[in-house]
Amino acid sequence: MQFGIFSVGDVTTDPTTGRTPDDTERVRAMLTIAEHADAAGLDVFATGEHHNPPFVPSSPTTMLGYLAGRTKNIVLSTATTLITTNDPVRLAEEYAMLQVISGGRMDLMMGRGNTGPVYPWFGKDIRQGIPLAIENYALLRRLWEEDVVDWSGKFRTPLQGFTSTPRPLDGVPPFVWHGSIRSPEIAEQAAYYGDGFLHNAIFWPMQHTAQMVNFYRERYEHYGHGRADQAIVGLGGQVFVRTSSQAAWDEFRPYFDVAPVYGHGPSMEDFTRETPLTVGSPQQVIDRYGAFWEQVGHYQRQMFLIDHAGLPLKTVLEQIDILAEDIVPVLRAEAEARRPADVPANPPSHAERVAAARAAGKLPAATAAAADHWTGRTAEDDLDAADAATVR
Amino acid sequence: MTARSIVVVSGGLSQPSSTRMLADRLADATVSALAERGVEARVTVVELRDLAHEVVDMTLTGYARGGLADAQEALAGADGVVAVTPVYTASYAGLFKSFVDVLDKDTLRGTPVVLGATGGTARHSLVVEHALRPLFAYLGADVVPTGVFAATDDWAEAGTDDVRPLPDRIRRAGEQLAERVAGREPARRVGLYDAVPSFEDLLGA
Repeated sequence: MQFGIFSVGDVTTDPTTGRTPDDTERVRAMLTIAEHADAAGLDVFATGEHHNPPFVPSSPTTMLGYLAGRTKNIVLSTATTLITTNDPVRLAEEYAMLQVISGGRMDLMMGRGNTGPVYPWFGKDIRQGIPLAIENYALLRRLWEEDVVDWSGKFRTPLQGFTSTPRPLDGVPPFVWHGSIRSPEIAEQAAYYGDGFLHNAIFWPMQHTAQMVNFYRERYEHYGHGRADQAIVGLGGQVFVRTSSQAAWDEFRPYFDVAPVYGHGPSMEDFTRETPLTVGSPQQVIDRYGAFWEQVGHYQRQMFLIDHAGLPLKTVLEQIDILAEDIVPVLRAEAEARRPADVPANPPSHAERVAAARAAGKLPAATAAAADHWTGRTAEDDLDAADAATVR
Repeated sequence: MTARSIVVVSGGLSQPSSTRMLADRLADATVSALAERGVEARVTVVELRDLAHEVVDMTLTGYARGGLADAQEALAGADGVVAVTPVYTASYAGLFKSFVDVLDKDTLRGTPVVLGATGGTARHSLVVEHALRPLFAYLGADVVPTGVFAATDDWAEAGTDDVRPLPDRIRRAGEQLAERVAGREPARRVGLYDAVPSFEDLLGA
């Protein structure tokens, strides 16, 4: 099971000091957080994508490309990539480039985005959110899977003889997740393609999350990708941890009380009872998150939101250390101990996907850059032809 | 035959509340009128006073918790609704409107509703027509013609209305709601997952 952190990249005033970082400081803090998570041994770092203040991460692949060069093991991902307002052609190119640069150490999560004005800023209509998500993603997949694409649809100009470059690494596109909180259509989409489904549960009671996840699992099986319990599931969550529960509550409360996302609403007592937010000791986080599988089954990825609400960078880095040292190893071992042998432990890695594609006969035995069908066949094709001629 | 579900929404903020009194009487009148038609009904009361914090929390966080989630669930499965608010500053109470604001927009679409309001003087009588009725029209509810406004004096023995005393109006409104409820198929709660088109349909759409 993978454990990681995801950032929405909010610029928020620290309520205890009144200090607000500027955009540059916040972007650099996100980079530091990701590098620290890699060094500490967490499995995933994911950045959000936003196009409106107070959020800074507008350009995920620039950020993740830099991090690909600076980190060693951590999987680089998104939370989420806007499949509605981005041109799927640009997404195909940018994320294939990231896949090549990172050596396949990446995946990405599609989402629709819920900020109304962002749609018209990018020439789209929010009322078409679901149809945009469906058409754009269907095109994105074709651009990754087919070398030359002829296409026409409702939402962008047609394509004739278009080849997206670079081609996916080893001929296998990145693994894709779909994130949705309330829309079963998106769970249906994830199930249809056999992609991963991530429910960002941070504002929701686990009962709602479990219903959505179980719907995805049933549909995953329906579409023939495997058994329901083998589907690839992720959850969002958020924690604030200190050695003692009281210390965690005292330190986090001023941030919670005025945080843009939940300030002035439910009390921290109510919110921690009803949502996955856990404020307390490492053991309390272990107890809470170690029980979620009882409601959603074995899942492959747990993401934590830890760098929001104006928390200072130093505190966030300490949270990463506590997660990596005191929490994740225990949760990972517990997950592994109860996981049925034929349920995937993790989301598929690039190497596993290449091996699977090869086994299914979808890739040439020796991977070669695919022919672009413009300038002619590759040298490898010619060799195959020569071999065939020899046998004959 | 399964019993029909009548959900009463009372926006009264004091205890005891004349708004709750009016709501209960409207519900009783509806249940009696249904019984005369051989239709059994059970009543669920939603007191907004008890949900005040949860309603405000949902306007800030976007998710329903506790009793508010139960109330929304009950309304979504209601065969008929009695909605009553006190009059505050010439309109429905803010809490009543906030509760409506956090309902899913289709919750009351097509649902038979009787509207009521309470206030200090008869000068507010038309608040049902000029404030509540447009709100429920926007929600697509099937609002019965008689709305019941009860001023303080209406609760006196004879009331102030010689033409149509409060008990008459309550009885008539209950009759109208019962008529609508009895004339329809029992409400079927449509869950989030009941109407999801298959992905082939979504792709083809």
